[in-house]
Amino acid sequence: MNPWLAGTGVLLAALIPCGIVAVRAKAMDRLVAVELAGTITTLILVALAQALGRPAVFDLALALALLSVPAALVFAHFLERWL
Amino acid sequence: MSPRMVLVVVLLGFGVTVEVLCALGVLLMRNSFDRLHYLGPATLLGPLAVAAAVLVDASDTQARIKAVLIALILLATGPILTHATARAARVRQFGRLHTEEQEAKVAK
Repeated sequence: MNPWLAGTGVLLAALIPCGIVAVRAKAMDRLVAVELAGTITTLILVALAQALGRPAVFDLALALALLSVPAALVFAHFLERWL
Repeated sequence: MSPRMVLVVVLLGFGVTVEVLCALGVLLMRNSFDRLHYLGPATLLGPLAVAAAVLVDASDTQARIKAVLIALILLATGPILTHATARAARVRQFGRLHTEEQEAKVAK
């Protein structure tokens, strides 16, 4: 089996604890879980791109890595002030 | 299995293990400040190990550059996110950002 595919599967399993925290915990804990899930998803896309031999998928990972930062910052800002 | 493939498996395995342990840490800790500690290795060690595995395995230069770029972005933005989240958590919990004199004495 391709090690990259195996790594993708294990990383997908690592999203489950993040999902549990994101569903059940308090607001700030949910934000932490979502931030970690963003990092893990970025690595899933990197591993998937390498597993499938499609370098174009790296662009998705790059876009996610760039976009998840302002998203989390906006959440943190709103949770700090208004929510 | 070639030595190059062994290196790829070791690096990828290390990166994936770090991410899984961090996910379990976030699940098992009690409050948001404890949970925030696990964002550190998840945004530092994991992406660096996976990018190193891509560097060893990929034959395409474009893929190598993008993997390193992704790791560097995660490396640079991780502490910013952790700081912003911790700041928001503290303001939500205590109603202010800065420590008061009484609180500083207790911390010492």
